[in-house]
Amino acid sequence: MLSNLDALLHGFSVALTMHHILLMMAGVLLGILVGVLPGLGAPNGVTLLLPLTFSMDPVSAIILLTSLYWGALFGGSTTSILFNIPGEPSSVATTFDGYPMARQGRATEALTYAFLSAGFGALVGIIVITLLSSSVASFALRFGPPEYFAVYLLAFASFIAFGGGAPLKTIISMGLGFGFGMMGMDTVSGAMRLTFDLPELIRGISFLVVVIGLFGLGELLLTIEEGPEFKGASGRLSPAAMLRAAAGMPRYWLAMLRGSAVGVWMGVTPGGPTAASFMSYGIARRASRRRAQFGKGEPEGVIAPETADHAAGTSAMLPMLALGIPGSATSAVMLGGLMIWGLNPGPMLFVEQKDFVWGMIASMYLGNLVGVVLALATVPLFAAMLSVSFSIIGPVIVTICIVGAYTVAGAPFDLWLAAAFGAAGYMMKKLDYPIAPLVLAMVIGDKAEDAFRQSMLISNGSVGVLWSNWLVGSLTTLAIVFLLWPLAAALLGRRRAPRAAMAANAEGGA
Amino acid sequence: MVTRLQLELAFAALVFATGATGLAGALELDWGWASDGPQAGFFPFRVSLILMGAALLVALQAWRGRAALRRVVVVEGEGGGRVLRFGLPILGLVAVAQWLGLYVAMALYLLGSIRLGGRRSWGVALGVALGVPLATFVVFERWFQVPLLKGPLEILLGLG
Repeated sequence: MLSNLDALLHGFSVALTMHHILLMMAGVLLGILVGVLPGLGAPNGVTLLLPLTFSMDPVSAIILLTSLYWGALFGGSTTSILFNIPGEPSSVATTFDGYPMARQGRATEALTYAFLSAGFGALVGIIVITLLSSSVASFALRFGPPEYFAVYLLAFASFIAFGGGAPLKTIISMGLGFGFGMMGMDTVSGAMRLTFDLPELIRGISFLVVVIGLFGLGELLLTIEEGPEFKGASGRLSPAAMLRAAAGMPRYWLAMLRGSAVGVWMGVTPGGPTAASFMSYGIARRASRRRAQFGKGEPEGVIAPETADHAAGTSAMLPMLALGIPGSATSAVMLGGLMIWGLNPGPMLFVEQKDFVWGMIASMYLGNLVGVVLALATVPLFAAMLSVSFSIIGPVIVTICIVGAYTVAGAPFDLWLAAAFGAAGYMMKKLDYPIAPLVLAMVIGDKAEDAFRQSMLISNGSVGVLWSNWLVGSLTTLAIVFLLWPLAAALLGRRRAPRAAMAANAEGGA
Repeated sequence: MVTRLQLELAFAALVFATGATGLAGALELDWGWASDGPQAGFFPFRVSLILMGAALLVALQAWRGRAALRRVVVVEGEGGGRVLRFGLPILGLVAVAQWLGLYVAMALYLLGSIRLGGRRSWGVALGVALGVPLATFVVFERWFQVPLLKGPLEILLGLG
């Protein structure tokens, strides 16, 4: 643990340069912008910026992208509270009590609660990363292909078991991701797969284009359907109310700790921030003595999801750094970025790229601090910006998405793909298909396949290698238990009202 | 007006068709299990089958709950109209970009959708339609040196 602190101090010396702090502020501001605008969320904000970082050095690039992520998480809460329009899927749960508070004229209070608890959740997540990441990584150094495959399998299986969507729809989403990820050249045999003799498909389909379509254009179509009108509380903040709310924060220590625990758990296992915030809100409501006040402007109903949201967002970086397995859609995109910058995500990163890893972790402390301050300071600015009619902002966001899709590979064909995935994303959202598993499967699907096929090369084609020692055996077994979980739950739950469960699923599947 | 039942069945059909296409592609490869483990087509073959199977199950579930799902309207007329009026110009943008390049397509798209779709004044529409491509040009071509898709106009201006 002490060596971690040493490494962290070294990380601060890497992160704390003027250049990096400026990047951090730029990233957070861009992130808030992306988070505030509907249709531009954290995953595709990071995606849109990624091609512009190709020429940067990896430390600067990751600081810019992670700061953008923190900013987006904060920005999503602003619109949730002020306009009842979640700028991010993960801030949907914040609208439940945040917007009622704003309508009662307590917007300042709600925003302060949201940002401070978000900052707290993020801090817990980062501390967990600081303490655990290098031990996880050094443990994972012993992993061979079978262990890796087992961990990938576990990641996919836990999505099906705990991801919050209907298991069948999660499977479809994941299957589509695997399928799109397989297109192009097969890395093991060199054969062309699923290209149907179309030259455009030889490169395969980039997950970045898919993210822009599904998250960007799809989300915009949903927003436009509801006829977005940013009517709501004004963005004017009163410093006195801010201080009063900040002073009242410690009263909610239990909710914050609980939210952080839920968030860290959901971030490390690939449940992601959205599932974490819903789950934390649900737990807080059930546990609270003021249950009747939930949904009517109860501060705890803002604090619980916000803490979990940010704790999940930050701790999702742990498996991404240490194992090369992303815990959320956004970290999946960043993982792709790491590979593009020529880094090999996984435990070797902690050995070979100390500056990168610890510089990034150190920047997370600072980035979230900058995030809280900037988020509070810029509320009036961004609230005013949203009063610009959507009939102007909407088309501008479309052009940003389309330009982003082109910059991924400089291929005109990708524009068609982005549009097609936009339509698909709209339908999937309508039908409660979870989208994050698709992205995850696209990013790490072929790595999982490679790991499996390498394991089979080692074992001469015997699946028994997945149970060849206690570690890989227990991982594989756990994964299979998770896979069968929904089936068992369905059989057990048949006697209990299944309709209620389905309704709850549909509600929580966002 | 689209009911949940219709959309569930339509998307399941889309997934099924995707799976079937994947299956056809996988069958062109060696989809067996050799002595060194699975071959190139092994996973595509099985993922396609899983997709087709899962799509059938979703369709079956939807059909069994059809009485309830038929009453759930997922896209009502007015909202659906807005989606089409917003979505179809995007297709136009993509199509024109293939031919005239991104900058010209963006300008035309912004002008059209802000003036006609948003019913804003000509001044606002023209301002955004010229400003956004110009800003994009400066940011991408000048600052980050990322070339975007260009068409005949840029070549004519000597920028391509």
